[in-house]
Amino acid sequence: MSANSSTRTFRPYTGEKARIARAYDYLVLVLALFLFIGSFHLHFALTVGDWDFWVDWKDRQWWPAVTPIIGITFPAAVQAVLWTNFRLPLGATLCVACLSIGTWIARIFAYHYWNYFPINMVLPSTMLPSALVLDAVLMLSNSLTVTAIFGGSAFALLFYPSNWPIFGMFHVPVEAGNSQLTVADMFGFQYIRTGMPEYLRIIERGTLRTYGQVAAPLSAFFSALICTLMYTLWWYIGKWFATTRYLKRI
Amino acid sequence: MATTTEQVKVMTNQNKFPPWYLKDLYRYLSAFAVLTVIYMGFRIYQGAFAVSTGLDSTEPAFDVYWMRLLNFELVFITLFTSIAWGWLWFTRDKNLDKLEPKEEIRRYLTLTMWISVYTFAVYWAGSYFAEQDNSWHQVAIRDTPFTANHIIEFYFNFPMYIILGGCAWLYARTRLPLYANGISLPLTLAVVGPFMILVSVGFNEWGHTFWFREEFFAAPIHWGFVIGVWFAHGVGGILLQGVTRLIELLDGLEEAA
Amino acid sequence: MKKLFNNTSMYQLNPSMVRQALGNCSMRCPTSCIHAVDHERIQQVTSGHSQKEYYSMNKITSVRPEPVEGQLEKLLKCLLFLGLILSVYMLTLQPVMAHGEKNLEPYVRMRTIQWYDVQWSQQKFNVNDEVSVTGKFHVAEDWPISVPKPDAAFLNISTPGPVLIRTERYLNGKPYMNSVALQPGGDYDFKVLLKGRLPGHYHIHPFFNLRDAGQVMGRGAWLDIAGNEADFTNNIQTINGEMVNMETYGLGNGIFFHSFWALLGTAWLLWWVRRPLFIARYRMLQAGLENELVTPLDRNIGKVILVGVPVLVFAFYTMTVNKYPKAIPLQTSLDQILPLSAKVNAGVVDVETLRAEYRIPERAMKLSLKIKNGSDKPIQLGEFATGSVRFLNKAVPVPEQSNAESVVAPEGLNLDNPAPIQPGEQRTVLMTAADALWESERLDGLINDADSRIGGLVFFFDPEGERYVSSITAAVIPKFN
Repeated sequence: MSANSSTRTFRPYTGEKARIARAYDYLVLVLALFLFIGSFHLHFALTVGDWDFWVDWKDRQWWPAVTPIIGITFPAAVQAVLWTNFRLPLGATLCVACLSIGTWIARIFAYHYWNYFPINMVLPSTMLPSALVLDAVLMLSNSLTVTAIFGGSAFALLFYPSNWPIFGMFHVPVEAGNSQLTVADMFGFQYIRTGMPEYLRIIERGTLRTYGQVAAPLSAFFSALICTLMYTLWWYIGKWFATTRYLKRI
Repeated sequence: MATTTEQVKVMTNQNKFPPWYLKDLYRYLSAFAVLTVIYMGFRIYQGAFAVSTGLDSTEPAFDVYWMRLLNFELVFITLFTSIAWGWLWFTRDKNLDKLEPKEEIRRYLTLTMWISVYTFAVYWAGSYFAEQDNSWHQVAIRDTPFTANHIIEFYFNFPMYIILGGCAWLYARTRLPLYANGISLPLTLAVVGPFMILVSVGFNEWGHTFWFREEFFAAPIHWGFVIGVWFAHGVGGILLQGVTRLIELLDGLEEAA
Repeated sequence: MKKLFNNTSMYQLNPSMVRQALGNCSMRCPTSCIHAVDHERIQQVTSGHSQKEYYSMNKITSVRPEPVEGQLEKLLKCLLFLGLILSVYMLTLQPVMAHGEKNLEPYVRMRTIQWYDVQWSQQKFNVNDEVSVTGKFHVAEDWPISVPKPDAAFLNISTPGPVLIRTERYLNGKPYMNSVALQPGGDYDFKVLLKGRLPGHYHIHPFFNLRDAGQVMGRGAWLDIAGNEADFTNNIQTINGEMVNMETYGLGNGIFFHSFWALLGTAWLLWWVRRPLFIARYRMLQAGLENELVTPLDRNIGKVILVGVPVLVFAFYTMTVNKYPKAIPLQTSLDQILPLSAKVNAGVVDVETLRAEYRIPERAMKLSLKIKNGSDKPIQLGEFATGSVRFLNKAVPVPEQSNAESVVAPEGLNLDNPAPIQPGEQRTVLMTAADALWESERLDGLINDADSRIGGLVFFFDPEGERYVSSITAAVIPKFN
């Protein structure tokens, strides 16, 4: 009822007021674009970092676990603000798109043009399919619980299959130095990095005695579990930071 | 006759670009342009001289090309901070209680521009030059805290966005009634949190000096930077503060075509 | 001599250094290394040349033409010069902030990997040409307590980016691709094959990444790579027999998939951003107009995304799995390569260090060594090598070790009793290694270390040129006066 009465009394802004509101939109969008490239990228580079930088770090155990767990944080926090207050279901896609812009610029200009690494050695991974699904789940469910459980899980589970079309071909075997390597490992061996000795890579620690020695699906499901929790946690982090309080003193 | 003049004036005002609420548009765009030139200039400088003079900190050329650049940066940052913050403070509005709604609307848009310029500086510091640090340390052996990328990233980019964040904070505090009456928690978080990233530089260098010799970018020694950047989410609160106040102001404004 | 290395005097050098540096853009040394510049500076200092001679020699040997010298760089140089003039005004009174390439603690450089006989197969070659670096190293027995044991180590090459690629690598004749566990006290030889990729003039070292300890440099050399960057090829054959161009492999495919998803993501963003956003939607939401904010069409598009995106993902995934059915996981291992039979401390000549004193004013390390000659020929002590420095006994002809640079004190080694040690003789010798290099290479910093011990290799030679090497170690006692 109250909604109906509001509907009757609601008058959208027109003319100059609408133009002011639209000008504000654009200013905020520019602000958000650079904010999320800068902040999400820094957060991501210093937590997922090496797994995303180098083709010879993208293993089947850690990479599909670490990336979504860290990657779902900013999307959840931004969704909390944009969906709750504006019913804009684009928080995840916005954050991940910004991250992609930041990483691509860095890979091309920082790694390739400055320091001569081939770009195919430093291709970033993509989380855009995961982000699109996360936004869609939130929009359709309008529920934190449903989005955390199903959206969060989908975010993690889609990560590895989304990226295999990009990176699968780097896992073709090669014989070198009397041993079997992947093409990706050959990049690490051939294209010299002074600060990235091979032992620094974190590749498949532990044994694989369950589920027929599969690694990637196990990692993806573990990641899915954590992502449901991370989503909720970061939803509240986003909400908490979006306080509108004014303090008397700091 | 008078009526005719007034009509012409109104029409002129309507067609004028930028409109009154975007009075600072060109300054805003100029700020982007200047920052772009500075940051791209740094990158071009690195491209031209980092490999030839920036790989070995004991080379005399390193002192010339890099340590002096560091000194310049520090001098520039000090001067710029004094000028920018001083200007914002000394030109503050001392009659905020008499502020016209239209002027307040304009100032909200200008505040958004200030924060936008701040986030543009965050982009260069948090995205491009941050990841470039990993790239550079795959080329140089880290033999000094003042590497060819650190000198730009830690001692220019970080202070620069902090200064610009401080400018945004000061602008709000000195020109907008709500921000003058109370201290905006989200704006303060969004400025102070990333400031702590600069403080983390000390922690980072301590770690790299004493117990962490590897270039593992995702290492816990770097997580101080990460926590600092989470405070960027304070922008969500700034947005809500802006939106709610702008709606109040716009609702009170007379309808214009 | 002393002043040349003095901080405050560094600014006296700067005008020349500036000129040198400005003309010197293609000098590329990636590491905390011993440069040609430093090397010559030190040689000039030790042999007493004037500063002027030093600069002129330095210029001749160091300045190489830059492959590409654009207008932009010239402009930058002009701007830089203006900047320098200003900075001279501002900063002339400040000391040089010399952090030093030699920042790695002396005890790590002296008592971990002890390099010798480093040799490059050639120093001038073309893009696509192969070059090899070979050498030997002894892993010190007296491994520092604060440095983790070399359970994981990586024989690396310091280059300013992949200007060369590493094609093969051998330790004790065995090829290995990953990391290796080294044994303290062990002797190893190595060989690394490289291939020129990017033309230029580079300073390159072999070095070890030691887990949690840092990088320990071997001796470097200047390499000149000529030719055209575009000619570089790097094709490898997969086990399936397919030839792969590493420079471009997977790049187009990666760009395609990133672009595809970026297109969808952008479309989704634009779908929302084209409408009035924050103020309008906030008001409408407050007014209870939620249904107008997310329309049935929006919901239908959402359903298409919810179904379509996972279907596309799994379709692409399945196509890739079918295309590359033989994909394997990333490979990693820790190679266990046993040391060679003893080359250092081989049991023929035994050396025990009785005492080590560092005399600070003289920059002289005095080592009291108990030497027993178990060979059947008289031997003479010809060299003491520690860190990256070689102290030579001018009375003993020491064969040129390699074409790789090291910092040499040609007359830096003296013995209190220079007579050859006869077969079977045991003698205590006072060996003095004295040179300003202790200071300029920052090896004297060990007296400030918590673990202030010295380590190094001493080389003995018999009349027929046979060489015996011993690794020595001792606590260092500083003498301040």
